[in-house]
Amino acid sequence: MIDILLAGVGGQGTVLAAKLLASAAASKGWKVRTAETIGMAQRGGSVTSHVRMGCQGEAVFAPLLTPGTADLIVAFEPAEAARALPYLAPDGLLVTASSALQPVTAALSAQPYTAIAVLDDVRAALASQAPEAAFLVVEEAPILEKVGASRALNVVLLASALAQGRVPISIEELKEAVSACVKPRFVAMNLEAIDLACVSE
Amino acid sequence: MAQRLLMGNEAFAHGALEAGVRVVAGYPGTPSSELIETVAKLHGEGSAHGVHVEWSTNEKAALEVAAGASMAGARVLFTCKQVGLNVASDALLSLAYVGARGGCVLFVADDPGPISSQTEQDTRRFAAFAKVPVLDPSTPEEGFAMMKEAFELSERYGTPVIVRPTTRICHASTFFDVAEETHARPAPAEGFEKDPRWVIFPKRSFEAHGEINERLPRIASDPTFTRFTVVEEVPGEGERPTVAIVACGVSAAYGREALAALQRRAAEEGMELPPYRFIAVGSPYPFPADLMEQELEGIERVIVFEELDPVVEEELLKLAGARHLPYAVLGKLTGDAPDRGENASDVIRECLLRFFATESPDLASWAAALQPETLRFEGPLPVRPPVLCAGCPHRGSFYAVKRALKELSKQAERAGEPAVQAVLCGDIGCYTLGNAAPLDAVDTCLCMGAGITMAQGLAVVEPQKKHVAFVGDSTFFASALTGIANAVYNGHDVTFAILDNATTAMTGSQPHPGTGLTLMGERRAPIVIEGVLEALGVERIRIVDPLDTDASIEAARDCLAFAGPAAIIFRSPCIQIVAPEEPLSIDPVTCTGCKRCITQIGCPAIGFDGTVAFIDASLCVGCGLCVPVCPFGVIGAVGDGKGESA
Repeated sequence: MIDILLAGVGGQGTVLAAKLLASAAASKGWKVRTAETIGMAQRGGSVTSHVRMGCQGEAVFAPLLTPGTADLIVAFEPAEAARALPYLAPDGLLVTASSALQPVTAALSAQPYTAIAVLDDVRAALASQAPEAAFLVVEEAPILEKVGASRALNVVLLASALAQGRVPISIEELKEAVSACVKPRFVAMNLEAIDLACVSE
Repeated sequence: MAQRLLMGNEAFAHGALEAGVRVVAGYPGTPSSELIETVAKLHGEGSAHGVHVEWSTNEKAALEVAAGASMAGARVLFTCKQVGLNVASDALLSLAYVGARGGCVLFVADDPGPISSQTEQDTRRFAAFAKVPVLDPSTPEEGFAMMKEAFELSERYGTPVIVRPTTRICHASTFFDVAEETHARPAPAEGFEKDPRWVIFPKRSFEAHGEINERLPRIASDPTFTRFTVVEEVPGEGERPTVAIVACGVSAAYGREALAALQRRAAEEGMELPPYRFIAVGSPYPFPADLMEQELEGIERVIVFEELDPVVEEELLKLAGARHLPYAVLGKLTGDAPDRGENASDVIRECLLRFFATESPDLASWAAALQPETLRFEGPLPVRPPVLCAGCPHRGSFYAVKRALKELSKQAERAGEPAVQAVLCGDIGCYTLGNAAPLDAVDTCLCMGAGITMAQGLAVVEPQKKHVAFVGDSTFFASALTGIANAVYNGHDVTFAILDNATTAMTGSQPHPGTGLTLMGERRAPIVIEGVLEALGVERIRIVDPLDTDASIEAARDCLAFAGPAAIIFRSPCIQIVAPEEPLSIDPVTCTGCKRCITQIGCPAIGFDGTVAFIDASLCVGCGLCVPVCPFGVIGAVGDGKGESA
């Protein structure tokens, strides 16, 4: 069983990311379940998508994964990486984007939050509690600028995560999923973003 | 047949179409909306032949459309979220008596948590109240099968049948084999047949009540219905189980997951779980009492996992009492399962550990030693509640009304009068998010359309205050019209702020009567909101663009000052349905860091780096609402010299 949690902010594209992973897994003959946050939270709130893959032909019962079991967490925003931390398995991989999205609550408060501080706290939490876990901070901004589309964030993060080789889905399989699931006019842009993400790893 | 990755709601649409549904009607509401959208999409693509699909003006209208079509012999499907059934309840309660001819299925999605709802009400309870059968899927696959069987059951017994999935079933995706094309089952050639039974009338109702009482026990033992209650036995070595785990809906999936994890863990550590029987109840009402009595033979303790109300738990208690069965029932009522909110595999695992621990001292010490291993994050984290989108025109509407109230207040104070106080009644939709800081523009929110009429009650008791009711355009047509007529008729001094963004935004941009678009692909003359208001007798009606701050404040002042019901229509399309403008920027050199742009309108595209405000270009849609808010004029388009970024 491979359990993946996608954590982000409503509107960042976690739903499509889950679909890409499900499609890639299904093309390998695996059983898949995904679960989405749809509704009010999509308006800029914290959202998660759960992707569960029966990679050895086993049945997948529940749509949601449980704390302490995620083989991979892909966070679209540093504070959401921190929020998702309890889901990470002790030997899991946490991949996160590096740019903060300031919620209005933070802008209103006297102490705005910074990505650097949160990422340092995440690093420290992992070092002390899960020395076998892996942590990857993706510098997504230059790649997104190069492809000229912030909506490519999801494939940049997925490609960076899969390039680590911890989840047995190849970059080629991700690309095939993009071709199958993404609107035709956006396919080339997404494939370019995947290539750039792999180069920068 | 084709294998497709489908969300539960999409799969249920395919299921209903494969069952030959002819008429599909509903009103949007999370987590139910995607079913109708899928039917409309398949119809639009030409693969769903012969189906009529519509967003009705509200749930009551939808169920009545469905009821009529069923009486003509067509298979019909009604969809809504759990609170939508409250709106349709008048129709449903009588429809159970009048009965169905063509299969009549109600798809009602519950929302444990709640994640996007006002209440944690349980549609299984509603089904029992209405005396109609209800099916409760534990997986999207089971829901797909239930959709088809529900039509059969409905026709066999002449009753409406409810299928009630929960959010995690509706919004979970997996792969389905679905038909490439579907054909609606033609209604019988003889058409609607006149019959006294279609006319609800006291004498007939008494007879119909008897028919209901006669058919419910038959449904409770019909294999078409009870086949969705599934029993699995996990044997010990030659031992018969004395404990049972009963789970309903998605809790059955969580229960299976938790049990599998515990079995694995126990095996690794040389422990053995006691033998148990696992019963997934997918047919909760009418309760399959005979089947359950049979399956609980020899059982001494039962634990029940279900979300929302203890429906099956109470049925088991009733069964034990009625038939003197010797089992104890543990669950919500005994504090052995969570009393509300969502269940999840880890929650059920903890409950099961406590349940098994009482079986033997060895199990007790093993369970006590099992600690869930989860990482903790202890640093500070910003909270991130949902907010109005960057560029949302509602922000401008709330801002204008609040500014107008402030100006009226200052004017009153200058005249030596007390400050103007106001109550802002909110409603259901994206604009409920106007409650968040810094807008703080929602003082009440009850149910669809309630703000319109609650404001009137408040105005009766507190005539010295201003009373404003905010209502969206879709909610306006769904349930504000009677309230507005009430204000005109009874002469209530209130102001309606109608937020017309040309879509049903919160649930994913569905059309409504004010847009003129229908799900059948026709474009009709839109029903004009100002025309409706005028016809209802509202004498002061102003129409403004909420992104034009000065005009909006002036219109709001005018309507607030008007004695009697007045309406401001704030008209600007939802940013989800129009192309964005170029993002604006804040000049970091001249920004004084006063944070006025943040504290006044709270746009998520404006952040603060500790010294100056900045605009996140990936979020800003260039609505310009913040431009006049800045007292120093440092917000503007990139390149116009004002908002030049360094």
